[in-house]
Amino acid sequence: MQRALAGAAVRGRAREGARPVRASRLRIDGVSLTRALLWVACLALVLVPLGTILVLAAGGNHVATLLQGDVVEAAVNSLVSATLSAAGAVVVGAGLAVLLDRTDLPGRRVLRLFALSPLLVPPFVGAIAWIGIAGPTSPVNFWWRDLFGAPLGTIYGGHGVVFLLVVHSYPIAMLVVSAALRRVPADLEHAARIGGASAVRALGTVTVPLLRPALVSSFTLIAVSNLADFGIPSIIGLPERYVTLSTLVYRYIQSGTVDRPLEVVATIGAVLLVIALVALVLDLLASRRRWELDSSASTPQRLPLGRSRPLVAVLAWAFVLTLTLLPLLALLSQSLLPAPGVPLAIENLTLDNVVRAVTAKGTATGATTSVLLAVLAGLVCGVLGLGIGTLVTRTRARDNGLLRAVAILPQAVPGLVIAVAWLVLAPRIGLFNTPWLILCAYITSFVALVVQAVAAPLAATPLTVEEAARASGASRFRALLDVSFRMAVPAALSGTVLVALTAVRELTLSVLLLSPGAQTLGVTIFNLQQAGAYNAASALSLLITLIGLAGLGLAARSSR
Amino acid sequence: MASVSLDSVSLRYPSGAMGLADIDLQVGDGEFVALLGPSGSGKTTLLRTVAGFLAPTAGVVRIGPDVVADGKTVVPPESRGLGMVFQQHAVWPHWNVGRNVEYPLRRAGVPRAERSARVAEVLDLVGLDGYARRDPATLSGGQRQRVALARAIVGEPRVLLLDEALSALDEPLRDRLRIELQALTRRMGLTVLHVTHDRDEALALADRVVVLDAGRIQQVATPAELVERPATALVARFVSDATRVLGSRDASGFAADGHPLRLPASGLQGAGEHGACEIAILPGDVEIAPTPAESASADTATVVSSLFGRDGNDVLLDWAGMTVRCHSRTQRPAVGAHVDVAVRRAVAYAAAR
Repeated sequence: MQRALAGAAVRGRAREGARPVRASRLRIDGVSLTRALLWVACLALVLVPLGTILVLAAGGNHVATLLQGDVVEAAVNSLVSATLSAAGAVVVGAGLAVLLDRTDLPGRRVLRLFALSPLLVPPFVGAIAWIGIAGPTSPVNFWWRDLFGAPLGTIYGGHGVVFLLVVHSYPIAMLVVSAALRRVPADLEHAARIGGASAVRALGTVTVPLLRPALVSSFTLIAVSNLADFGIPSIIGLPERYVTLSTLVYRYIQSGTVDRPLEVVATIGAVLLVIALVALVLDLLASRRRWELDSSASTPQRLPLGRSRPLVAVLAWAFVLTLTLLPLLALLSQSLLPAPGVPLAIENLTLDNVVRAVTAKGTATGATTSVLLAVLAGLVCGVLGLGIGTLVTRTRARDNGLLRAVAILPQAVPGLVIAVAWLVLAPRIGLFNTPWLILCAYITSFVALVVQAVAAPLAATPLTVEEAARASGASRFRALLDVSFRMAVPAALSGTVLVALTAVRELTLSVLLLSPGAQTLGVTIFNLQQAGAYNAASALSLLITLIGLAGLGLAARSSR
Repeated sequence: MASVSLDSVSLRYPSGAMGLADIDLQVGDGEFVALLGPSGSGKTTLLRTVAGFLAPTAGVVRIGPDVVADGKTVVPPESRGLGMVFQQHAVWPHWNVGRNVEYPLRRAGVPRAERSARVAEVLDLVGLDGYARRDPATLSGGQRQRVALARAIVGEPRVLLLDEALSALDEPLRDRLRIELQALTRRMGLTVLHVTHDRDEALALADRVVVLDAGRIQQVATPAELVERPATALVARFVSDATRVLGSRDASGFAADGHPLRLPASGLQGAGEHGACEIAILPGDVEIAPTPAESASADTATVVSSLFGRDGNDVLLDWAGMTVRCHSRTQRPAVGAHVDVAVRRAVAYAAAR
């Protein structure tokens, strides 16, 4: 269609004439194609594995096996430890969030960083570290035994599992509650103050009740993820025969103590999956009754602690440092001592453990495998997360909500279930006994991290940004490429780094999907620990923790 | 530049709600038309239909000679040759100013050398000379809106669409950009469709104003006509804060229902049929005079509020149970004071059913 356009003709520049496009609502373009590809990826990586587990569990009737004594005992232990640890984590996390965000506690910025640090230490490393503090051969127990003839008590057993789960999950509750605290407009509290409430009463009667949705959802999130942690119960629980579902599944897979272990394990996985989904639905229902909060420009007033300020400060610092710095120091001392129980003195210090750990046969393989798998997982999750996170926030489509829900579903599914799902699927897709199986499980588990990293900042930008591109002559796909993706890339990059750093220190998935010659760093440390090389295990744990912290620090800095 | 024409355009949302109902509108080549209406009136729906972000369910939309939507086929926004400015500027944060402004030219395949010349030219035009390499994050709100304007006009659009383009700016700046916008669009001879909920802005800028309500056009008129001869009582109230009064009319004049207000036939304009009717009283046609409290009767009004204005005071009255707006150049009574009310003239309309 030719059109004489006065201005354009004079300047020798003509815009393309208008071409009517038929049936615009059904046209197939780059956007629909991208959406279709992402759906296929989600199907293959999330729905097929989780579906397989349900089908296999429904196919073979293993309810009888489930009702055996040890499965029931393990299930009870899992449920109790998950619920108790989630409750503890929410109490600790919310308390610290209020203390750090809403009071004039001295040094709260630094303390906040310390309080968040357990998030960056893999749970099984934390378990190894706490054995150094409260294990049977720890300095505390030696000293107590010298005085009273018997050890004070050890961390081994159910109480230790719950304690360590709390230590490693309260930072999540703290982050969620902290974010919710900042969303509560300060004006609400100011209004209560004007209305005659004291600062403490305003905080307690206005702000804290508004945090209830955040408390509930962090409880669910933590309970579900603690339901199937492997590292802590296997290192802390097993010495006292405290068996949970994840360690039971590991035993079934490793040592064929039951007939058809895959089907039994799939049944256990299916039960866990159902529990997780129920929790997810309950959380969604609870979040419906959320209040709409206006944004507020005024900054919240900090609660003055007054005369109790020094006391609260000492207690808070001592509490946080005990939970965070002490284990790292214990790890350090174990790394430098030749054997457990050797007194901490200058002449006893040695670097032998570090040398032995680094030069051990498994370490090099483990490091190579872990780095390779982590980088690949980071890249794949980065691309998928960029695509999904951008599409669901920057386009209008009916399936956006569903696509996003499917992509972040694995976050609400215990890692154990994902591992079992891929294990069941492996022989059928020819990945049995290969490291690629671990890669698949990593991608399933971690793609949600990137989706959320991308979607959260993009959701706040109005869609007019893309419409401006359309009005400027860009097609739907072009606007997606030029504007939406370009805006999302920084978030996707930091999501990629986060995935790689999480995957490189991962244990639960790697240990269950272990294949010959493909052990990861986490598995290397776990094996050292199981073989009794406690000090070498500590040395390697310390190394990867420090490297991980440095990596996250760099990523956080570069993304700013 | 090009004209825009809409022939009985309707838009029904999948929910069944009518976004637009039977819209007929002709915008001439180079004309500046403002779309005015309360929120939910369909003014933004109308603009987005012209832009191509919404597809009408019936009717024909033309830009210049081209049919861009006819209820079955829809030309996508990128092929319509438009420029658009949004309320929240929508300047792309990941590109510098020059790259933002240049984008429509890139999409149109303009060679690089010509692109940079055009960008420099248009940035100069909006008063951002030398800003091409700046990061948008370092610009003020007004400057970002100028970038958005430069981006909208750089490709010499057939029609410039402004979606509440000035509404997010604060008052003094909005006033200045209003002046610049008019100067710029007049000089370039641009066809402009400008959506706003700001009545003064619509009246100040437009050649013609379209008043919308509930998805229907209520009146299309020049600003002067709109103020002097509102087509319906609703338009009179929305545009000029007129007071609407129901009553009946006979040869002697108008008598309000259940109210002492009476108007002689000489003070009435508009529809002349006798019987039930509705009148709109413009605030400027209400005269008030202070009256001492002791002589107050059922016929005197009480002042509810009394706001100062540069060219007269806005007084709200409770006149025997009826709320009346008055614009008085001379009087600024205290709140609670008693005043005598006289209505100089009113416009009569056939009673709305």
